[in-house]
Formats: sequence, C-alpha cells, structure tokens
Amino acid sequence: MWKMEEAKVGVFLSDCAKQLSEILDFKALTDFVKKVPNVVSVTRGSEFHRGTGLNAIIEAVKGKKINRIVVAETLPKLSEVIIAKAVEEAGLNPYLVEVIDLKDHCASPHRDAPAEATEKAKAMLLAAIERAKLLEPIEKLEFPASKSVLVIGGGIAGMQTAEDLADLGFEVHLVEKAPFLGGLAARAGRFFPTDDCAICIESPSSDVKAITHTSRKCVYRSGFPEIPNLNIMTNSKVVSVEGVPGDYKVTVEKKPRYVNESKCVGCDVCTTVCPVEVPDEYNAKLKTRKAIYMNNPPVHPPVYVIDESACKFQDCAKCVEVCPTKAIKLDQKPEKVKLNVGGIVVATGFREYDPSVIKEYHYGEYPDIITNLELARMIDGFGPTAGTIVKPSDRKPAKRIVFIQCVGSRDRRWNPWCSGICCMISLKHAMLVKSANPDADISMCYIDIRTTGREHEYYYEKAREMGIKFVKGRPTEILHDPDGNVLVVDVEDQILRKFMELEADLVVLAPAMVPAEGTKELAQTLGLELDQDGFFKEYNSKLRPTETKMRGIYLCGGATFPKDAPTSSLHAHSAAVKAAKFLMSGKITKDQRTAIVNEEYCGDCEFCPVTCPFNAISLEPEGEEHFVAKVSDLRCEGCGICVGTCPVNAIELRHSRPNQMAAQMNGLMSVNGTKKPLVLAITCSECGHTVVDSSGMAMMQYPANVRVMKVPCTGILQVHQFLQAFKAGAQGVMVVGCKTDGCHYEVGSQKAQKKVDLTKVLLKEYGIEPERLEMFHMVYIEGDKFAEAAQTMTEKLEKLGQLQLSEPV
Amino acid sequence: MESEKQRKPLSPFFSEEIAHRLGGETITLCYQCGTCASSCPVAKTTDKFNPRDIIKLSLLGEKQQVLSDGAIWLCSSCYNCQERCPQKVEIADVIYALRNTAIKEGHIPNIYAEFAAGLMAEGRIVPISKFVEKKRPEYGLPTLKPAGSDAMKKILSATGFDRIKWKKEEAS
Amino acid sequence: MKSYALFLGCTIPARQPHYEASARKALTKLGVGLVDLDNMTCCAPPPLQSIDLETSLSISAYNVCLAEEANLDVVTLCTGCYESLAMANNTLKANGKLRERVNKILSSVGKEFKGTQEVKHYLRVLVDDVGTDRLKESVSKDLTGLKVASFSGCHLLRPSALLKFDDAERPHVFDDLIEALGPKSVPYKNKLKCCGGLLRGYADDVALAIARDKIVNTTKAGVDCIITLCPFCFLTLDLGQMLIKSTFHEEYNMSVLHYTELLSLALGIQPKELALEFHKIRLDNVLNKIK
Repeated sequence: MWKMEEAKVGVFLSDCAKQLSEILDFKALTDFVKKVPNVVSVTRGSEFHRGTGLNAIIEAVKGKKINRIVVAETLPKLSEVIIAKAVEEAGLNPYLVEVIDLKDHCASPHRDAPAEATEKAKAMLLAAIERAKLLEPIEKLEFPASKSVLVIGGGIAGMQTAEDLADLGFEVHLVEKAPFLGGLAARAGRFFPTDDCAICIESPSSDVKAITHTSRKCVYRSGFPEIPNLNIMTNSKVVSVEGVPGDYKVTVEKKPRYVNESKCVGCDVCTTVCPVEVPDEYNAKLKTRKAIYMNNPPVHPPVYVIDESACKFQDCAKCVEVCPTKAIKLDQKPEKVKLNVGGIVVATGFREYDPSVIKEYHYGEYPDIITNLELARMIDGFGPTAGTIVKPSDRKPAKRIVFIQCVGSRDRRWNPWCSGICCMISLKHAMLVKSANPDADISMCYIDIRTTGREHEYYYEKAREMGIKFVKGRPTEILHDPDGNVLVVDVEDQILRKFMELEADLVVLAPAMVPAEGTKELAQTLGLELDQDGFFKEYNSKLRPTETKMRGIYLCGGATFPKDAPTSSLHAHSAAVKAAKFLMSGKITKDQRTAIVNEEYCGDCEFCPVTCPFNAISLEPEGEEHFVAKVSDLRCEGCGICVGTCPVNAIELRHSRPNQMAAQMNGLMSVNGTKKPLVLAITCSECGHTVVDSSGMAMMQYPANVRVMKVPCTGILQVHQFLQAFKAGAQGVMVVGCKTDGCHYEVGSQKAQKKVDLTKVLLKEYGIEPERLEMFHMVYIEGDKFAEAAQTMTEKLEKLGQLQLSEPV
Repeated sequence: MESEKQRKPLSPFFSEEIAHRLGGETITLCYQCGTCASSCPVAKTTDKFNPRDIIKLSLLGEKQQVLSDGAIWLCSSCYNCQERCPQKVEIADVIYALRNTAIKEGHIPNIYAEFAAGLMAEGRIVPISKFVEKKRPEYGLPTLKPAGSDAMKKILSATGFDRIKWKKEEAS
Repeated sequence: MKSYALFLGCTIPARQPHYEASARKALTKLGVGLVDLDNMTCCAPPPLQSIDLETSLSISAYNVCLAEEANLDVVTLCTGCYESLAMANNTLKANGKLRERVNKILSSVGKEFKGTQEVKHYLRVLVDDVGTDRLKESVSKDLTGLKVASFSGCHLLRPSALLKFDDAERPHVFDDLIEALGPKSVPYKNKLKCCGGLLRGYADDVALAIARDKIVNTTKAGVDCIITLCPFCFLTLDLGQMLIKSTFHEEYNMSVLHYTELLSLALGIQPKELALEFHKIRLDNVLNKIK
C-alpha cells in the first residue's frame, strides 16, 4: 500500500480578471487559507489554466515546492484537464490536483450576499485542501488489445463493417449462422426508394478488383471474400465468449457443410441425383429444393451445402458417387474453433414476425395469404416463380392483390412498435408488380402511411400515380370464399365511411420486424442488454451510437432496430470506426480510478458482483469454501455503486475513498459565519454537479449556506454517510443525482433513492425530522429547479429550528 | 342557398373525463384504425352506429352529440371490437362509461328506466311472474329461493344508483 | 363429485323453465352437485352495467360473496351471468384498488369480497369434472343423425383476456361437448357473430335484422337445429322467428335448443320432463332424429 508522504499543498486562487474579487474578499480568503496546516503557498492570479498562471503551477511542481495542488478556477471541468496534463508533464501525478469553482458555485449564485459568499468560499477551499491532502497518486494502466475483431452476422451490415475493419488492417472473423452470406437483404429483391438490386447494393464498398472506385459489383463478384485478413465462417455460430475487452476468447461452432469448399466447382450434378425434396424455406416454400443445394443467385461461398435434417446420408450417398471432384464428405463433423479477438461487432439483423398467431388473419391456413418477404421471392426473377405473381394455392396468376399494413406491428397485443420500413416495402412491391402487370388491381389497407426518409414521399406519390389504391382502415378479418377460391378482406374505409369486402387473389401481409432468432441467447452469451422491444440496446443512441455497456462490443444494422439499406450501411461504418478506435493502438489505456477490495473484510456475500452494472466484479475462490470479490480494473467504470452496496465496507473506490469524502464533508460544514442552517448538497459528478453549475451560470440566486460536494455517482453513498453529514454540522442534506431512468451508471440514482428513503425511516426513529434529508433527480437544464430546491430546503430548516443531536459530536 | 353553419360548443376535456371513469380508462389510446368498426355486427347492419366514430367524436370533445344522439345505446356488447383492437382499447367498456355518463346527465332511454325500476323494486331486472313460479313443481323444479332484494336496495343506495333522476327522457 | 352454488339469474326462472329443468336434471344425473343459495340477485348484466359500472360490479361481487361464504364455486347456466360474475371475480382478484372500492360498498350489506372462489360456466364443469369420456359413456340415445349449428353467443368467449374460457378466434370446447353426445357440429357463416339480442327493446329493427342473418346462415348450412347457451340468444332466435315471419314474411322453422336440453335428451331423459312447450319453434324434426 502506498504510504502517505507529508503533504505540501499549493493553493492557487483565480480572481478571473478581478471579476470575482468584486464579490469575494480575496484578502480574507488568502489569509484563511494560509492558516490551514500543510498549505505551503497561496498564489492569487487572474487565471491559472494558461499563461503565467499555469507557468506558476508548473514551476512550483518542478521546484518540488508542492506535492498537492488546489486550484480555484473558472470552467473547472475544462481547466482540470489542462492543469492535470501540465502537472503530469512537470513530473507530478495528475490525480493529486483538486480544482474547484468559486465562480459558478459561489460568487455568481450568491452575489447578493457577498459576506456569506466569502464564508462559503472559505469552506469550499478548506474542503478541497483537506481532500487534496488525502489524495493518492493514481496509475495509468495498460491492457493488451488484440488487433482483431469478431463480426457476428453476415448480412448487409456485418459485411460492411467486416470490410471496413479488414481494410484498416485488423484481422476480421465474420461468423454467419446460415450456410451463405447475405442475410435478409439477399432475399429482398430490390431496395427502396431507388429499386436497385439488393444483391448488388448490399455488397460492401470494396476496392479489390475495382476498375474505378465508382463501379459497384454484386456481392458474389465484388471480391469481398478475397480481402486479406478477412476470415469468413458460414454455417457457424458463436457458442461462448469469455475474457476481457481487448482479449476476448470466443468459441465458434462450425456446422459441417459436408462439401469440401476447396473442391466444389458448383456444377450442380449432385442435385440432379439427390432423391430428397423438401420445401425451400429460402424461397418461402413456394418451391422445393434438394437436400444438397445452393441458393440462387449465390452469395458467398459459391459452394453447395447439405441440409442434415433432410439428407439420408449413407443410406443414399448418390451425390458422392457423381461428384466429379469428389468434394462431398458425408462424414464431416462439427468443428469448434477458438478465436482470440480484441473486439466484437454484433450485426445479427432482424426478421419478419410470424403472423400465424393473429388468428383473424388466417395466415398459414389459407395459402394465398403471404407476407412481404414471400412476395419479394415471387417478384425476384431468380425466385421460385420466375418473377410471375401467382396464387400459391393453384398457381394461377394473381391479378387482384390486397396489401395489409401493420400486421402484428403497432399492436399492443403482439409488437407495440412501428417497424418503420414496411410502408416503403409494400409500396415497392405494389409498384414493381403493377409495372410488370399493368392489369393488376392493387389496394393497400393502412392505418397510416409512413414515408419519412429522403425521397420516400415521392415514392408514395409515384404509387398513387400508378393507380395503386389506398384504403384507410385496418381489416378485421380475412375470409375465404371456396366458391371461386377467392379471399375477402373485411375492412371499413373510414374516409368514405363505407364497409368494404375487398376481393383478392392474393393478400399480402406486412408483418412486424422483430429481433432475429437467437437474440436472447446471444445477449446472454455476450452480457448485453436488450431494450423493451427485445432488440440489442445501444449504450446511448445519441451520444454513443453502436456502443454497448460492455467495452469492446459494438452493435450495428438491424440488430438494434429495423432499418433500411442506407441506414444499415451508415451504422455499419460507425461501428467499424468505434471498434478501430478502441483497438488501433494495440493497447487499452485506463486510469486506475477503480474499486479495490479489502480482501480481509470481504464476506463473500455476492452483493457487489450482482450490483455492478458493468460486470466488473467476480468472485474468486480463496482457500476452502471462501470467496473474495475481485475487481477488473479494465471493466470497472469508477462509479462506486459497489461501495454503496457493500454491507461491511470491504470495498473502496480510489480517488473517492471514505476518508477523502469525509474530509470534504467536514470542510464544507466547518465555516458558517451566518445564522442560516448549513445544508450539505451531495451531487453526482454527472447531472447533479452540472445542474449546480447551470444555476450559477444563469446567475440564479440561492442561499450560501448550501454547500456542494461532488461524488462520482450518488450510488456510492451509504446510509451512515448521511448520518455523518448531520454529525458534521449539516442541518439538512440534499442528494442530487440523475433522473432514475437516466443515471449515467444505470442504477446508481435509483439505489441512492432507496438509501435516502431508508435513512429517513432511521432518522424518524432517532427523533430527527425526516424532511431534513431529501433526494432530487435533476438534469443540467434544470438549474432553476436546483436554486428553488436549495431555497425551499433552507426555509424549511429555518422553520424546523436547530437540529438537536443527543450526543455531542 | 347556403345553410347557416352553427359552431357547437365543444367539451375539449371530455376524453379525459371519460378516461377517469370506471370502464373508460383506455379511450385515449385509440389511433382510429377502424378495426372495431368492421368487427361490429351492429355497424354492419345500421349506419346509426359506428364504434370508431363514437370514440373519435368523444376524443374531439363532441360531448353533447355523443351523450344525446342515441348511438351509444346501439352497442350489443358482443365485445368483438375489444377482442380485436390492436391498441387494447376496451371499446365496449368505454361505451359503458359513456352510457353511465349519459344517464347521470339525464339522457335515459325508456327501457333502461324500466330495468332500473325492476331492480329497485324486486332485485331482478326481469320480474318473475307468479304464474310461472307456481308451475315450477310441474317441471320438477324446487321452490325458488328468496331473492336478496333488501341487500340489493342497500347496495343501490350505497352507490347512489337510487338517486339517479329516472324521469323518462325522450330516447332517440 | 364436486358441488357448486347454482346461479340462475333472472331470465331463466322467469321465462325459460325448460333451460332450468334440463340443466338440473342432466347435471344431477351426471353427478354434479347443485346447491341453491338464499338471497342471490340479478347478476348485473350489460343493461345494468350501462347504467352504472360501480353498481353492477358491486352487485356481481355481492353474489360471488354469497358463494364464498358457502365455500362453493359458482356455476351459471346463462352465459350472460357467466360473464358478469366471472369478469367481476377475475377483475377484483387482480385489481386491489378496485377491490377496496367495491368492498367499501359491500360493507353496507355486511359482505367482503375475498377472491377465494371460481365462477364457472357449466360447460367448464362438464369438461373438468365429468370429462368428455364419461360424457360419451353416459349417452344412451343415438344422436348421430343430427346436424347442429353450435352458437355459444358472445359472452362465453369474450373478452377472452378476462374470461379465459377458450380461444376466442378458434373455440372448440363447445363443439367438442356437442360432438361427444353424437351430433355433428356443422360450420356456418359468421358463427361467432352476435345475435343482436341485447338491442331488443331499444332498437328492435336492428336486433331483428341481425337475428335474421343468423337464421339465414344456419339454414344455408343445412342443419337440423341451433344449439344455444344464452337465454337471450334463445329468445332472439326462437321467438325471433315469429317476428321474422311477421316482419319479413319468411318462415324458416329452424329449431333452437339449449345445450342442456340436447344433453338431457342424449342422457335418455324424457322430453315431457323438459318443459319443451316453452319453445315457439317446433322440435319434431330434432326429436325424430333421436333414436
């Protein structure tokens, strides 16, 4: 353990070009500070984050005159970074610096009471000095980062992100669970609103074999598979992920293809002898395929695969005999592949909801009711009906087609969200069918038409121009009239206020877009969270898109929410940049402002591993039948929620140790100078502290007896610390944290609320008014609410009178 | 010749009033998809009734029209709309809430006044004639147990049912 | 076998002794115990719910309380009573605030809803307590020549979230119980659609138009009779045909029977014991096909 040396504190007071000294009595402050033990120098200046001010600090450090620094500076959050860097270069550990804000936290909000403001300033300085004396140097740690990435999912997003990373020089492993790449996009036919072929557009922008860099190439001839450092594994699934960011150990299970990839020439002779025919799921079961097959058009790899649930294996083996290159190996076994990667990108996409649960729509019962994806296969010239639109029941041409939107979407019984892309998909299909079949009679039943993207409204316009009909109403049921084998859609056109029975040869449902199969399991394997709709959750889609709570794991594409092609592409590029930034330097640098366990006290109760939002704590066996908690410095985000949870105080957070926090508390409560009741406001370093900043920046006035102390997250606070505050001289305590659904560390603010509620019960038991302790949840722009709360608390305490503690402090 | 258009006063918070009533809690979820209308056996038979319309008018604040034009009494309580509604609006229950409000404000169809009278007198909405009761042994039926008409009267008093102004209004 | 508190409601004792007679006789023959409790009232069906939901909920709850005090589950004949009582029972079991509110009102009659009992329709009792196998074995007549249109009405099934009796879009319990007796339950257009019964008295023309649809559709399906569960459906479709005759000048002679009447006949109970004279439409064609 590091031993505390004799602290020599240098205090630097900025009067902000004499602005602050208009309000605060700097002479009194200087005199006060000089008297504090261990303060060796007090310097007053205009500013200390640049120029001569900064130089003064640097010189003092270089001259070894000081080993702890307290700066009262404006824009402390910015200045702190600059000063710490300069101090580090000068030879002192940058975490031995404490910067406070005498402007927005003192002079500005209390300018109507300058004497009281000065007293508060004294307390703030004392608190900062006492804390600085107890600060310890914090090391910068380095962890290895393997320059390799695992991409899970080989659809449009997965391929793009894999290619970006491979181009940037990373080793990329692209794992796809289907036997071929391409995902949903390969089956979509065309992409709206330009109606270009999806198979071409989904091809990532590769420069390999490009004649000019404007030439686009369908994915099967794009050269994508030939990109160096790209290892493509199809027919494979991620089974387990262990390790830490920068050093993930992944196990992938490769299902046997039964065809040797290096020997298959794609001649198709095997399918001609295969006796087994099964419904072709890739083609919406509108045709059959053999047990050995390849999709058409082929997306990588151009190698046949055997469907092991259909094949008769050694009972038949006809394909083995006829294969000219002897490529078929019926005895192939699943293979477990172990990978070491630095980062992971999840690009597992989405799928169509199965509408058979919506019984009133009879999907699955009446064969002529199909989904958009199934229609896409029919429209596709490569598809099972060679581009003709037919009724699956009797293969007769389908002339009258009715689309029904929002099937299982925007539906609180099934999937409450709007899937976003289905209006455009149905419009695309309606127009493609109409162009190829001008005598087609097409209607669309809708609740709303949502065409919000770039050029999407013109798409809708074009559909109307082509004579596609729109019925505003959601059908209640689809009936089947056996007389004529015709479907009848029972719907109210609410604009005409007329009940309609629309006759249709084909009814096309636009089902909800839901998370891909296996999402729940994958989320568990990776330790990721799902949002309320079941999609992978981004850490913050505005501030940190594609990132997740787990460092080194990123999301892109439809896996976070249904998206169209341009947006998936963008998202994929984003994720690649994030992963590259993380792993580029080959190492992960992090300071050690992390939690540390006192293993002697640890009672292996399991509270902290369960509570930590970042899975940073694990239980390690020690001796027989005893476990201790161990913190991963790499995963720990320095919130301190574990500290607030531990029932035996066995865990502490560096840089916010209990003695450091107590020193601040005592310092802030030690100087009053007025008759007003002292209030300790404990704020989190995120929303809590910034709301105090903003009230000062906006010059809102509140009483100077309210003194502010910062902690990383209110989750770090324990019940006894509230009681400690009262003992230290607080008449009231305000805890200010983020909103409970917006805590920057997920659960800290909620946990603090619970502890405050518990403490209020205890206070009542002790005969102390529980209203003396309150928690507030505020955000930065609510500066006025903070000022109001501080004022209200002060008035309330004045009414309650002096706090009577039964024992002397 | 143009007819004079009169602007009827709206009750802009009517939907909130209904949402605070028993049965009416879900009215504001409606996004006017029209599934209820095409599920409704009554709407398909007469154009005097359309559940989607009734909710739309209520949401827009046409309180007077909704409570007095008689449409709300045409619901046959088959619950098909509530079963199929994609927003889980409890449409049939909302119509009950509208009816409850209409009665409180004095719009009472004759037959409902009759039901109420039967209930308050005998504890049953369909009175049992002595003729039929006497014939019970003929069909091997045991004597009818006494009805809890006293308990009924007390409950009607506790909820204020018996203080509703039952004067017969013209039912539309 | 288990005993239940029998809830008769208003309409059946007032107008349909044939329903009560056939029900008591058939269920007793199958071993189901039926207990008549004192002081039951109207179940508080839609006409009362239309006036005031707080009142109707309290009245329904009151009736369930009587069963709770007797430590019995409730069985109803009328599906309207089933809905009122079961909805109230399930709603109050799940919603504490509402339960408090209703109990405050019930305290005026010295009752408290505790949520200890179930409310069942007798079809559920036949499935759970008797079972389709034993039902089949108990049939002593041959009804296999009969083709029937089953019409459960609305309130056995909907709202399915609260009643949970059967799948509201693909119900099968009623048809299974009919076919266990021998007849064939034939599909027909708009089988699950309402009969319009509750509109009688307020908008007779609309009610009649809806009822006529049901008669027309069942006739088109070529059935011998309609099997009902609800006394309102019965009235609308049986007596209703007289009104259809006088209003539309159409005669269909579609027999209508309650399930318990079919059940009684299947179990060998004599027609004369079932008060069949209360039917308006003759039942000869049905009785002749029972051997």
